[in-house]
Amino acid sequence: MILPFVVAGLVLGSLYALGGVGMLVLYRTTGVLNFGYGALGAVSAMLSWQFVELRMQPLLAYALGIVAATALSLIFGLLAGPFLATVTILTKATATLGLALILLGLMLFAWNDKARTLRLPTDTIGFSIGTRITVTQIICLALATAIVVATSLYLRHSPTGTAMRALASDRELSSMLGVGVRRVELLAWTVSGAIGGITGILLSSQTRLEPVFLTFIVIPILAAVVVGRFRSLWGTLIGGLVIGVVQAVASAFPSTSSFSNATPFVVATIVILYLQRRKVVSIEVAR
Amino acid sequence: MTAEPRQRSSRVPVWSPGRLLSARNIVLVVALVALLVFGPGLFGAYWTRILTNCAIISIAAAGIALLYGRLGLVSLGQVSLIGVGGWITLRVGHATSLPFELVLVIAAVGTGVIGVLVGLPALRLSGLNLAIVTLMLAGAFEVIFTVTGFPNGGEGFLGRATGGVLQQPLARPALGTTDPEYFRYVVVVTIIMFVIIGLHLANRPGRAWAAMRQSEAGALAAGIGTVRYRLWALAVVSATTGVAGGLLAGNAGLLDPISFKAPASILLFATVLIGGAYSLLGAVIAGFLSQGLPPLLDALGVDGNLIFVILGLGMIQAITTAPRGIAGQLQGLARRIRGLFGKKERP
Repeated sequence: MILPFVVAGLVLGSLYALGGVGMLVLYRTTGVLNFGYGALGAVSAMLSWQFVELRMQPLLAYALGIVAATALSLIFGLLAGPFLATVTILTKATATLGLALILLGLMLFAWNDKARTLRLPTDTIGFSIGTRITVTQIICLALATAIVVATSLYLRHSPTGTAMRALASDRELSSMLGVGVRRVELLAWTVSGAIGGITGILLSSQTRLEPVFLTFIVIPILAAVVVGRFRSLWGTLIGGLVIGVVQAVASAFPSTSSFSNATPFVVATIVILYLQRRKVVSIEVAR
Repeated sequence: MTAEPRQRSSRVPVWSPGRLLSARNIVLVVALVALLVFGPGLFGAYWTRILTNCAIISIAAAGIALLYGRLGLVSLGQVSLIGVGGWITLRVGHATSLPFELVLVIAAVGTGVIGVLVGLPALRLSGLNLAIVTLMLAGAFEVIFTVTGFPNGGEGFLGRATGGVLQQPLARPALGTTDPEYFRYVVVVTIIMFVIIGLHLANRPGRAWAAMRQSEAGALAAGIGTVRYRLWALAVVSATTGVAGGLLAGNAGLLDPISFKAPASILLFATVLIGGAYSLLGAVIAGFLSQGLPPLLDALGVDGNLIFVILGLGMIQAITTAPRGIAGQLQGLARRIRGLFGKKERP
């Protein structure tokens, strides 16, 4: 039966999308495509696991993990933000590779790369509709959809959302118009870090709890963002779901299962190449 | 009065004896000869093996530096190309009894062709899109390598001997059977690759690449075939990176897919940024940072995982305050010292 794979794919895809939305909020506001996003999620998941191991109340442990990811994101935005605002988009993204490496190194230093499992209490509660579905999986799907809806409504209707969109179009012009550029940017870093933390915990419960694996899960998340053309929240959601389902269904068949992990890369590459098919020569001078 | 065009060709003869016999080149040659003759004896067996790897990786680093420093392209998938070069070397080496040098050439050509074929659709991409596509390709190659593995003397196209069959490493080249000999062999090949890249940078292709980096429209207006030169850059970089893969395969005779994962490409890119992307010296430093620093830290009793933290911090530092990397800072220092001596001589 293929249904269990479709369900697993939808769940994984919704998590890719959730992470993608977090990356997108930051990218749209500050122009920073955060390659360290997976590492933020990994920190959150590893810390939560550690706190649960230390017999802390699980909910408090997850909250602390998410707070840690949020704080790290905010601190990086606070320290690097003014510099990042002055350089090209490519350099901004490259700088976040440094963030990813630092966080990964610290995690490997603190915890080795052994396979652990993060058991959420909701994993054990479930029901059956042809296949077993746990409450965690429902949470993943619902949260991804809810955050996409909430974020797009927020960006469209709230004053801060408008400021974020203005910043995305032109940073200097929006500061001329009296937008508190730094405040809005730091808000974007905070929100993005929080979403990253949540994504990390959920992803580690659905996949594996390993620092390296979680750090580089940023690649399929990036694929979802690419499908959303770096703009559309809904496109990111759909992209994430499609990638997740294709990947899971491909893993169901022996002939394709070993290549199923390549799904995000193939999808993202095709989408990028398709979007750039009519690129004309850009007239910009290197700074 | 008619204006008389008094333009001199901008071509400066590269091969004039005065330029070739500059103090810098003489020192460089003496240092390299000393490295070749006394190197293995001086470093000892352990460090000779490590420095062999450093030299091999510095070839790949030079390719990344060429793409980033000269063309402004970020490629996050170069380690996959090392893997491709290694795969071809092992496959051809097991299938035929050609001398290793010829196998290296085949690996270079093969990797060059694959690099261009993969790069062909990505030709229109630049900036962030190219960085993402190369990262995705690195991920895809990681999956492919994990599935196919590397040839180890088995049957079939993939050349995999699995199960209880004894793995058969590829024999080392006749000129470098022992570790010290192989070190010298690798250093010589590395020098040849650096000369190839250096000649490209110093001549017409290098100028064309620099023009394209400044402004693609400007380069087109100046009559530069941007597509042709970009493909040529991909071919040169892929071919030299393929040679690096071949040397890596020749060293142990076996390769493990675990060494060719996407994170390795990112780490290598970080070391190039730290070492300096604008000079070949930077590539040498990058090769040392990626292969020599971990054992050095190990020798000092530092946890090996902290290498990620060091490289990450170094990368951010390089991006923010030292865009020319360690090599650029060293060159600045040398220039300052020369300036001091120059002033003293004058009065």
